[in-house]
Amino acid sequence: MLPTYCPSCHAQLKVKCLKCENCQTEVNGSYDLPVLALLSSDDQQFILHFVKNSGSLKEMASEMKLSYPTVRNLLNDIINKIDTYEK
Amino acid sequence: MKSKNVFDWMLNPFARIAGWQSFGLGLVFLVLMGLIGAYGSVAFDGVLDMHFVKDLSLQNSFIYLAVDVASLVLVMWITGLALSRGFRFVDILGTMTLAKAPFLILAIGSLFTTAPDLSQVVRTPAMVFQSVSFIVLLIVSIPVIIWSVALMYHALKVSCGVTGNKLTIAFIIAIFISEAVSKLVLFILI
Repeated sequence: MLPTYCPSCHAQLKVKCLKCENCQTEVNGSYDLPVLALLSSDDQQFILHFVKNSGSLKEMASEMKLSYPTVRNLLNDIINKIDTYEK
Repeated sequence: MKSKNVFDWMLNPFARIAGWQSFGLGLVFLVLMGLIGAYGSVAFDGVLDMHFVKDLSLQNSFIYLAVDVASLVLVMWITGLALSRGFRFVDILGTMTLAKAPFLILAIGSLFTTAPDLSQVVRTPAMVFQSVSFIVLLIVSIPVIIWSVALMYHALKVSCGVTGNKLTIAFIIAIFISEAVSKLVLFILI
């Protein structure tokens, strides 16, 4: 799991360095993490399921063995988190 | 861990079952309650009520239940609309219908209960204590009603996706209104 918050002061982390495993080139800078990377691994997994099921909450509900409104509430929670991160 | 799962299932089955599925299951419980209630002369005359009635017909037994559920669903649906927009009516219908299921325990209990004569109880209230089975049913009815109210709370929470104080306050008001509506409709009908 990619760390997204500072273990010391809990501020949001930024990407400082990216490295090519092929030629060992390093790209340095200060890049924002994508919003999706800020979500928990469970939330990211949920979004993957959502996309794989073509956005069908009904199919997700039967796959996850949860009721339709429960799955919809999980999605709403993620939407609220994304809204918060975007602010 | 297993007992926690059972407890979760008992308090909030709606995390796994809602919509038409829970409506179908709820109807099975309601039909059983209507049949057993008529046989045991017990009427579910209010969203959270149960009373012994003399000569209860099968038709009236089902009218009581239909009015209960309709009042509960209607008031909770309006409450849901006030709290949230993106929810389905069928979820409120299904979860609220299933939330009445614990009352089946009281319907079954009524078969083994000798109710004291109401006219005599009015004159001498101590008469109530002469029927042990009635006292037992009265005691059992408290956790059953609490269980049913907890189910109704979770039904609204899951169906509308609302949490916090807003949900709690709205639910308390809605449950009182639905009880009043059911009483009023039954007063007019029966």
